[in-house]
Amino acid sequence: MELLERPRGWPGVLLGRPASDGETGLEAAERAGAWRAWRTALREHGPEGVIRTVEASGLRGRGGAGFPTGAKWRACREADGRGRYVVANGVEADPSAQLDRALMERDPHAVVEGTALAAYAVGAGEAIICVRAGYVRAFERLSAAVRAAEEAGLIGANALGSGVDVHLDVRAVSGSFMLGEETVLLRSLEGKRAQPDQRPPYPAQRGLWGEPTVVNNVETLAAVPWIVERGAEAYGRIGAKQAPGTTLVQLTGAVRHPGILEVPLGTRLEAVVDAGGGGAGRLKALLVGGPSGGFVPADALETRFAFGALAEAGAIMGSGTILALDERACIVDLATLMTRFLATEACGKTIPCRIGTKRLAEIGERFTGGRPRPRDPELLGDLAADVRDGALCALELTAINPLVSGMRYFEQEFEDHILRSACPAGVCRPLRVAAGAAH
Amino acid sequence: MTDLLPQEAAAPSLAERLLETQAPQRPLSAPTFTVEVDGRQLTGHAGQTILEVCRDAGIEVPTLCYEPKLPGFGACRMCVVEVEGEDRPPISCSRDAEPGMVVRTQTPRLRQIRKTNLELIFSDHNAYCLPPCQNKCPSHIDIPGFLKANTEGDWAESARIFKRTIPFPSILGRVCPAPCEEHCRRDEVEEAIAIRDSHRYAGDQVLKLQAEGTRAPVPFEIQPPTGKRVAVIGSGPTGMSTAYYLAIAGHDVTVFERDPAAGGMLRYGIPQYRLPKVEILEAEYQAVWDLGVKLVVNAALGRDFTLDDLQNQGYDSVCIAIGCYDTNRLGIPGEDAEKVLDGLEYLRVATLGLRYPGHEGKRVVVIGGGFTSMDCTRTSIRQGARQVTLVYRRDMKDMPAANEVHEAIEEGAVGIFQAAPTRVLADERNRVTGVEFQRMRLGEPDASGRRRPEPMPGTEFVIECDRVLLAIGQGPDLSWLERGSSGVEATKNRRLKADAVTFATGRPGVFGTGDVRVGSATVVQANAEGRRAAYAIDAYLQGQDLEQIRTRQTLAEPQPEFLSIVPFTGEVKEPRYRLKAMAPEVRNTSYVEYEIPYSQTEAMAESKRCLQCTCEAIGYCDLRRQGIEYGTVLKTLEPQQSGAFSFRSVLENRFTGENHDYIRDDSHAFILREPSRCIDCGRCAQVCKEIVGAACYDFMRTGFDTLVTTPLDMSLNTTPCVSCGRCAETCPTGALMPKPRVLEKYDVDESRCILCGICVDACPYDALRCGPDFELSHESRAEPMIDLMAISAIDRDTEISYVERERDWLARAEASGRRLDPAKLLPVLPAGLGGDGRGNGHGPGGAGGHVRPR
Repeated sequence: MELLERPRGWPGVLLGRPASDGETGLEAAERAGAWRAWRTALREHGPEGVIRTVEASGLRGRGGAGFPTGAKWRACREADGRGRYVVANGVEADPSAQLDRALMERDPHAVVEGTALAAYAVGAGEAIICVRAGYVRAFERLSAAVRAAEEAGLIGANALGSGVDVHLDVRAVSGSFMLGEETVLLRSLEGKRAQPDQRPPYPAQRGLWGEPTVVNNVETLAAVPWIVERGAEAYGRIGAKQAPGTTLVQLTGAVRHPGILEVPLGTRLEAVVDAGGGGAGRLKALLVGGPSGGFVPADALETRFAFGALAEAGAIMGSGTILALDERACIVDLATLMTRFLATEACGKTIPCRIGTKRLAEIGERFTGGRPRPRDPELLGDLAADVRDGALCALELTAINPLVSGMRYFEQEFEDHILRSACPAGVCRPLRVAAGAAH
Repeated sequence: MTDLLPQEAAAPSLAERLLETQAPQRPLSAPTFTVEVDGRQLTGHAGQTILEVCRDAGIEVPTLCYEPKLPGFGACRMCVVEVEGEDRPPISCSRDAEPGMVVRTQTPRLRQIRKTNLELIFSDHNAYCLPPCQNKCPSHIDIPGFLKANTEGDWAESARIFKRTIPFPSILGRVCPAPCEEHCRRDEVEEAIAIRDSHRYAGDQVLKLQAEGTRAPVPFEIQPPTGKRVAVIGSGPTGMSTAYYLAIAGHDVTVFERDPAAGGMLRYGIPQYRLPKVEILEAEYQAVWDLGVKLVVNAALGRDFTLDDLQNQGYDSVCIAIGCYDTNRLGIPGEDAEKVLDGLEYLRVATLGLRYPGHEGKRVVVIGGGFTSMDCTRTSIRQGARQVTLVYRRDMKDMPAANEVHEAIEEGAVGIFQAAPTRVLADERNRVTGVEFQRMRLGEPDASGRRRPEPMPGTEFVIECDRVLLAIGQGPDLSWLERGSSGVEATKNRRLKADAVTFATGRPGVFGTGDVRVGSATVVQANAEGRRAAYAIDAYLQGQDLEQIRTRQTLAEPQPEFLSIVPFTGEVKEPRYRLKAMAPEVRNTSYVEYEIPYSQTEAMAESKRCLQCTCEAIGYCDLRRQGIEYGTVLKTLEPQQSGAFSFRSVLENRFTGENHDYIRDDSHAFILREPSRCIDCGRCAQVCKEIVGAACYDFMRTGFDTLVTTPLDMSLNTTPCVSCGRCAETCPTGALMPKPRVLEKYDVDESRCILCGICVDACPYDALRCGPDFELSHESRAEPMIDLMAISAIDRDTEISYVERERDWLARAEASGRRLDPAKLLPVLPAGLGGDGRGNGHGPGGAGGHVRPR
């Protein structure tokens, strides 16, 4: 997917350096600014300094949940364990997203350096960068970057002569949507079935092989060198106050120029859409956050792209994708599609997830199929609340988003389906037939 | 299990140590702190989860996937609790208790989450607890159980199983409307099982044996006398059931009967041709008298004694089961005309074997659609009435006695439906000349689910007749309430006021049950009432709190409604064996029982048709227990509006949708897998992997199709299964079960035996042992093998008893003067008793010269 041109005035933290396409050599990367932060950190800051800087920067995890990165690192550093691990999640669980791939392919050294910094900060001797098995080029470039850094003595045993051992490994992981969940990724690395575990204990206390582990998204880690090099304050000046910095966004669907761009947190959704050339046709809604994201209607585009604001609007940061929908899209159909995808991808460990999400999808299917039961709208709300409150992992927590946010903003469209067996967008075809056949 | 062990104060025995290792060990030195749970201050140890703290304090938090030997898993989400200051409720099995935590385990929100979870499970639980027939039986007879005994020709056992819930298989085999048969799932193959006729046959066989002097089978062990005295008023089906079960519980029971002989409505309301009085009624009642129940006849409540009298005479408890004998009035003009007769009065005379005066040649109109009206009709025919017309206000299919109406019509009655009387016509001497009826139209369904009849003006017609028999239902005679019965009250619609579950009236020690409590109903319902009342009275006599009984009684009579989506495609079709009846022209003049019983072959063949749709795990299924507790599946004992005996469904599953239908796997010799009952809790997988180390099971597939099963769903035989049975032990439902087995004698080809002794070592039951000359001896084992659950208990038992036996033998040998060297002859004892700790009780086995006593 194409990278969009950054609008004037938007800072470039993640995609700021020139692309290293076709050129993964360490020298070129260092010319562009890579590994400077690493040298400084080892020479001047020390682990405590790095953690303090990251804490002060206000960086929050870009994997979707937005947990403060500094706090996570500190918890891991302070936890008891025989060893510690850092796991960089570059699996990009959302199959429709390509953001992490773009990042890893474009600037593998930022990811590797960020991972090394995290390992150094928490005192982990070993760090694993997990890449989706299909991302061959990203895998190759990351591996090459790690190899080059090792050969140059930047990382590995006694890195830069500092007496610190930091071993990095790049691993191709194949799997499902569930790998976006940190405990699932850890179990997968352990060779077990990809199923989440109850938190707490958080991986920072008991993670890979039962030892304290930091799991960060590659995007989170790629921002760390920038922060360490330029300081927490510089990062804090970017984007929203509560959660500063930038994040990658993938804009697809009914926009003129679909693509990936780096957006400061707190930007209005309107501005994000404009960066993609504006809507092609009349914009109806945005699906923000991937399959488990929520719908934001076209008249709420002043919503800011930030953790809190999106949660309030019923959406999530999620995988960072924004799917723009014009009037040809049926919200009921799309919400059902998303829920069905999640129900299929669920690992099947818990009851609310295995059966609950399936039943949610079935309710949606009854709406689109023109055979709703009298109590279905009410049932949808009740079930969604119970699935959320009984949830084990983020999949269940967010699986209710598409249908719930759809019901919230597009009540009329749902009513058309339920009461009048009509689909205004003309997507749900069996409606009329079914309506005639049913009663 | 512990009560199998001898009481020893000394060093813990091997068995005791084995038991201890089952429980998680926690160092007592772990620092303690205080946690508030449901307003109670509890002490927790560092490292304990919230769930463990709760369980230590006896606070029940429901779990399904929690295996005490392993860390919390978190799949079932049943153990959610609220912790103050947290948005979402954490699950208590995986959350460590922290000092100062404020926890609540039972809030409406938590109960809602748990209930939703259970409902979701049930929406994909393609299984059933009780078979539908047993569900629908008001008394929940173990129908597959007695049919199974029938197939083996074990009539006594069959009757014994029946008597666990109703004492009278033969009586019910004749008079029961068999609601069970309407719900039989054999119907999906071709035709329902003849359940009633099957227990009738078994009951009759037992009666035959009784006539030869054998005692009737008793369903439970008769308890030693308690010294408590109970007066049961009424010897109908309700009263006699109460008396029967109270007598088994060891109480001293006296039955008071108003009429000259026991039987109540069975004797005075049901005609001879349906229920022979001497051969069946009295013979079957004999089983109750045999238990020591005393009978006082010609003693009516209110007429001959009062409740005060009984309690003054020292009865610890009184049970009122006087039934319903007051026929309802029509409430129309002319009703008091001569020869408008009370149907019950008529039957009373008829069942006494007397001809009702002047019935012959008369034209009779019978009004009503129940069993009484049917008995009036058919008895009138037998008594030579010229023309018998049966009139009912609803449709034929709505009649409570719908299955009998065809037989009445065959015998010559005329049926008129959807018509209600408007007035009775009489001549100048006030004698009946006819009844005017009005046609009825069927309107909206009422609370009973039947369509309510509405009059159609202008459709009046007259049926001329000489006699009118009223059989439009009965109410109880409550005139005795006026005297010597303070505290006992009537309800608004003239029934005895007694609790639906505890049967307690307003007066301590006095209980009310049966028709007098709920209005006239069927015999099987009356029996069910009587049995349940007996349990309540027994608990009362033991000094238990009646409110606690309520919970237990409710749990004891559950009616879970589960999906029953089982396609019966592979069954061989075998139509129902029908009871033959005498020809109508013969039977309409005869009082002889008109149905011809089965032959033994027919009875066995009919019982073989049963599909045995019952869950083996019914007694220990956690899912069922919690489903009941959370009202997910239970039809409570709250009486429905239409009739007090039918139960209202509290809730239907909201989430019914796609569900799975997995194949039962019985390929393994010891473990039966029924994946349709699996709730994916993962306990078997955890236990098998973490404790046993075999890892036969895991979660397979994803999403809704996830199932805990073997790889590729293959047989356990092809996994590393060691047949330890731990998976079946931990399974909270009936998805994994110890396989019930009956081992026959095995053949041992001694000419091929190489005397390796492996069979001796391997046999868990000591069935094979070294003989005196180091040769194999083998014993047959015809009794059913005890299930795997019991193995551990048995192991420990044999261990100890074996050692004791050896010691005794040694002592005996010495006493008789035979000097033996104990070191040489005693087997090597388990470690705890001074041995090598192998714990198999066999000793080294291979050494020669071991003389084993038998």
